[in-house]
Amino acid sequence: MSKEVKLFLGPNHPGMHGNSSVHLYVEGDTVVRSRLVPGFLHRGFEKLMERRGWMQNLALIPRICVPEPDINEMVYAMAVEVLTGTEVPERAHWIRMIILELARIASHLMALGGVGGSTGLYTISHWTLADRDRILDIFEKITGARIYHMYIVPGGVRKDLPEGIESEIVELLDYIESRSDEFENLLLKNRIIRTRTEGLALLTREEALEIGVTGVGLRATGLPYDIRKIDPYARYDSVVFDIPTATEGDAFARFTLKYYEMMQSIRILRQVLEKMPAGPVNAKISSGSALRWRVPEGTVYTHIESSRGEYGYFVVSDGGERPYRINVRGASFPQGLYGVEKLLAGTRIEDVALWLTTMDFCPPEIDR
Amino acid sequence: MNSMNEILGEVTTIAGELSVKEVTARESIVSVEASRLNAVLELLKRRGFSHLSLITGVDRIKDGIFEVFYTLFRWETGETLLVKSSISRDEPVISTVMHLWPTARFYERDVHEFFGIVFDGNPDLKPLILENWKEMPPMRKDFDPQKYSNEHFPDRHYEAEFLAEGGDENE
Amino acid sequence: MSVYDGFKKTFWGPTIAWKRLFTKPVTIKVPQVYREAAERYRGFHVNDWDKCSGCGTCAKICPTDAIKMVAVDITVDIGKKAQRPAIDYGRCSFCGICVDICTTGSLNMTREYIHISDDPDSFFFLPDETGIHHDTPPIGYSRDENSELLDLERVEMEELPGEERVQSFVEFVKGFSREQAIAEAARCVDCELCIDACPAKMDIPRYIESIFKNDTKEGVEWMYRTNPLPSICGRVCTHKCETVCSIGNRGEPVAIRWLKRYLMDQEKTEDVIRYAKEQEIIKKGSGRVAIIGGGPAGLSAAYYLSLMGYSVTVYESKEHAGGVMRYGIPRYRLPDEALDGDIKVIEALGVKIECGKTVGRDITVEQLHEKFDAVFLGTGFMKGRSTGVKGADSEGVLMAMPLLESIRDYLRGDSSKKPEVPESLVVIGGGNVAMDVARSVARLQKMEGMPVDVKVTCLESSDEMPADLEEIVEGREEGIKYFPSRGPKEVCLEDGKVFGLSTIACTEVFDKDGRFNPRFDESDESMIEGKMIVEAIGQAPDYDYLPESIREKIQFIRGRILVNEKGQTDLPWLFAGGDIVNGPDIIHGVADGHKAAVGIDEYLSKGVK
Repeated sequence: MSKEVKLFLGPNHPGMHGNSSVHLYVEGDTVVRSRLVPGFLHRGFEKLMERRGWMQNLALIPRICVPEPDINEMVYAMAVEVLTGTEVPERAHWIRMIILELARIASHLMALGGVGGSTGLYTISHWTLADRDRILDIFEKITGARIYHMYIVPGGVRKDLPEGIESEIVELLDYIESRSDEFENLLLKNRIIRTRTEGLALLTREEALEIGVTGVGLRATGLPYDIRKIDPYARYDSVVFDIPTATEGDAFARFTLKYYEMMQSIRILRQVLEKMPAGPVNAKISSGSALRWRVPEGTVYTHIESSRGEYGYFVVSDGGERPYRINVRGASFPQGLYGVEKLLAGTRIEDVALWLTTMDFCPPEIDR
Repeated sequence: MNSMNEILGEVTTIAGELSVKEVTARESIVSVEASRLNAVLELLKRRGFSHLSLITGVDRIKDGIFEVFYTLFRWETGETLLVKSSISRDEPVISTVMHLWPTARFYERDVHEFFGIVFDGNPDLKPLILENWKEMPPMRKDFDPQKYSNEHFPDRHYEAEFLAEGGDENE
Repeated sequence: MSVYDGFKKTFWGPTIAWKRLFTKPVTIKVPQVYREAAERYRGFHVNDWDKCSGCGTCAKICPTDAIKMVAVDITVDIGKKAQRPAIDYGRCSFCGICVDICTTGSLNMTREYIHISDDPDSFFFLPDETGIHHDTPPIGYSRDENSELLDLERVEMEELPGEERVQSFVEFVKGFSREQAIAEAARCVDCELCIDACPAKMDIPRYIESIFKNDTKEGVEWMYRTNPLPSICGRVCTHKCETVCSIGNRGEPVAIRWLKRYLMDQEKTEDVIRYAKEQEIIKKGSGRVAIIGGGPAGLSAAYYLSLMGYSVTVYESKEHAGGVMRYGIPRYRLPDEALDGDIKVIEALGVKIECGKTVGRDITVEQLHEKFDAVFLGTGFMKGRSTGVKGADSEGVLMAMPLLESIRDYLRGDSSKKPEVPESLVVIGGGNVAMDVARSVARLQKMEGMPVDVKVTCLESSDEMPADLEEIVEGREEGIKYFPSRGPKEVCLEDGKVFGLSTIACTEVFDKDGRFNPRFDESDESMIEGKMIVEAIGQAPDYDYLPESIREKIQFIRGRILVNEKGQTDLPWLFAGGDIVNGPDIIHGVADGHKAAVGIDEYLSKGVK
């Protein structure tokens, strides 16, 4: 007769990607039941956004998600543009793609480093975060800040690219590709990591569709579902790229797909830098000063493919100077809450952190 | 693959009159009555709109109703449908959709906590994000966060030589 | 292909990391090592106090309420405020929206990003040009035309084109529609710098906000608190407010004058009368006041005295009230309907306007002093001045004011007043009155089927011409020709009929002390042809109605009556305002009338008389 012991994989844990608590009921060292307790990062964004004007919200929205803040700015801008009927200039679309793809590479690097952190093999996480820092340097030159860019605004982007940035981005892409040998040897061919992650956190195709998992979790079961191809936004239908898929559906498949996606992003970026036209980068969404912008009445849901899955904003406007309701759809809501309850049973304690990391679990999106 | 119009035609046969508003080429809003909601959602799920992205509540305090939106997405064609249903603000009860999508359990828990809408058939309506919350559901329009903040948290005090009389509150 | 096969498992593979054993670490040890941020970095703020106008727009748009305007001890001109922004870096989110919306461009962000202090109060900081560490940091983020958050271009006001509008006296400014007015009102940032610049201290941002909220009733009520002639000012005011408008620093100022006109165009006169009557009477004063002159100062004093409960009678010597507004400004800028609308509102409050009654002839000032408790003088500058050159008293040489008056009477339907329309006209003078004469006669010439032949000549050079720029430009579009920097020498006569004006070059108008001291070059002489000459070089007052007994008791300065800050002369029951006190335009007259009304109320409620 074994007893159940309750453990808290609490908010402060080196393997936890963010701040959330997972309550584990273990027998021996196998998890029997589990439950997610979110709420440690609740900052009340949705209510705060109702009390500020459409342009003032720019300071709030990137702070919802730390590793990849640009996705918030992009969906907010897309939603306001649909409601006001503004045409974004051509060059702004391409600049947005540069920012989004660089953010995707940065986020994937952090996720691959997270695998290292969860398994205790810290070399790979140090390397990927150092490389991510170079991407942050590029962001600093383009937008003026390293993490919270506040660069993509409704109507376009806030400033044009600085002189000479194209060659710097190409240099960076070459550098990341040159490191692929080291990444593969340290992470993907590494016997230790393979043994730990192969067969872990198995997700079948039916389970994935039933829970509503999107992003890498769904593509690791064999379905090539990527919003950039299916419901394209910006100018993703003008560039050529592949959607890597796998069939195994386990943890190893997922982060391998992230590695492949990173390489595809590099391919997209090279095409964007070649094809980008000249022109204006900004269009006004409403008459008057930014204190008095008004958005016509309407309801819209816009979504994009972030590095973790489908990320969307549901925006309701009543024709005034402030939003009426904004609801944030975090990509990790389904697998974080329902997945933790249903799928964690049977894993060992030491693998729980690895499970959470590879399942793309990001607490700020759930708590907002 | 059935087009959106054909599917909406089918929906009309079981739900009676419904109003459809187009937002973009690939997104539309469909309003149905609360009593037909489950039948409509089940039909839409069978016809391909199998991915539930989000369940949202909107507080229309001036009209005295809550609106509940179900955002459905069809992977094969990339179309989005927002299915809307209105319930009264004084007695907000609507049926659950847990049997169609298991994750709806958590979306409904979130909407219940922030608006006070009761989802009939969902056994798990415990608070999700807030802890020890004693006020009214905070996303309602008559909840004043400024008042709450003034009552529970102290203001900042600064002493700087350029401020009058040496001390000032920065609200 | 299975992902497993894509990468073959190896045991020794990770030893590739050893090759990094001797490479230099990539960590930059900040703050021991100084790392300069990128060119556009958003760091701590700097503010140029000379450029900053204290408008407070940065404080309004800050999303986190981090900016607070604090009063500072400096002297400022009209149109700027003695306050500067102080920033709380505990709250600042470093978004840079304040820099993008700054109306003068004085606020910028530097590349400084490190500030370490054990004194938390040092994080609430009043930036000047030296930054948070009081040295010269390199500038980081600043605004360019892409990140602009103000709307710098005005909504275009539709006007009739030059060729078409010169054919009649129709009002050629069409006015705003509701969408245009709301779009124009959206440009205002509510900085309140315009209120100080307006002589009548109108609550301009408040009625602009009423337009933005689409509540025209509220807007009319705001305007009437300080100005009972909004339809008129909405067409012809000299808009001191627009000169100091914050948006005018980098773009076109908000079209405040046209927005005023929009509000009055939207409301019917009956509704405006109703709102005026619904206002609470400020005081229940009792007494009778007489007002001499139904111009802007007189009408404004009448309105406010009537609101305060006094019984007011206005004596106007001409057939219609309005003064220079009715008889000086031409119909194409200020039609009779606008004037009548505003005057009807004033009369509806109980003010009696007696037209055709000349004080000094039909009734004397002493009689008014007996019948009334206080008297207000608003008789204005209705006489013209002459250059006095040889031949100026011939037939065919006219003064501006009587000519303008007869044109308006003629257009109102009195055909006995029709002026003689010359084939060609020469106007002496470069101010607004000269332009009014020139453009009116141009229209008369067109209406008679003749081509436009009007020439304007003045002492000033074309840069110094005192008329409004828009008058000069519009006049040129209508076919008027200008001859600046010329002084009149002699009227050329043949058989007693005028055929031209002989002029000499004027080399300088103002001397180095700024005084009017024109110099001429007699050798450069030319003649400007014209069958009629009009002198429009300035106006003068007419004090004939004041008896000697009163004239010796009040003081005059350079032709104007001296009053205290309440509009009161040295005789306590006699008040004055308008052009005869200081001028120089309608809005000053309105302000004077309001001031005098308050002064009369104070004087009468002290129980004197």
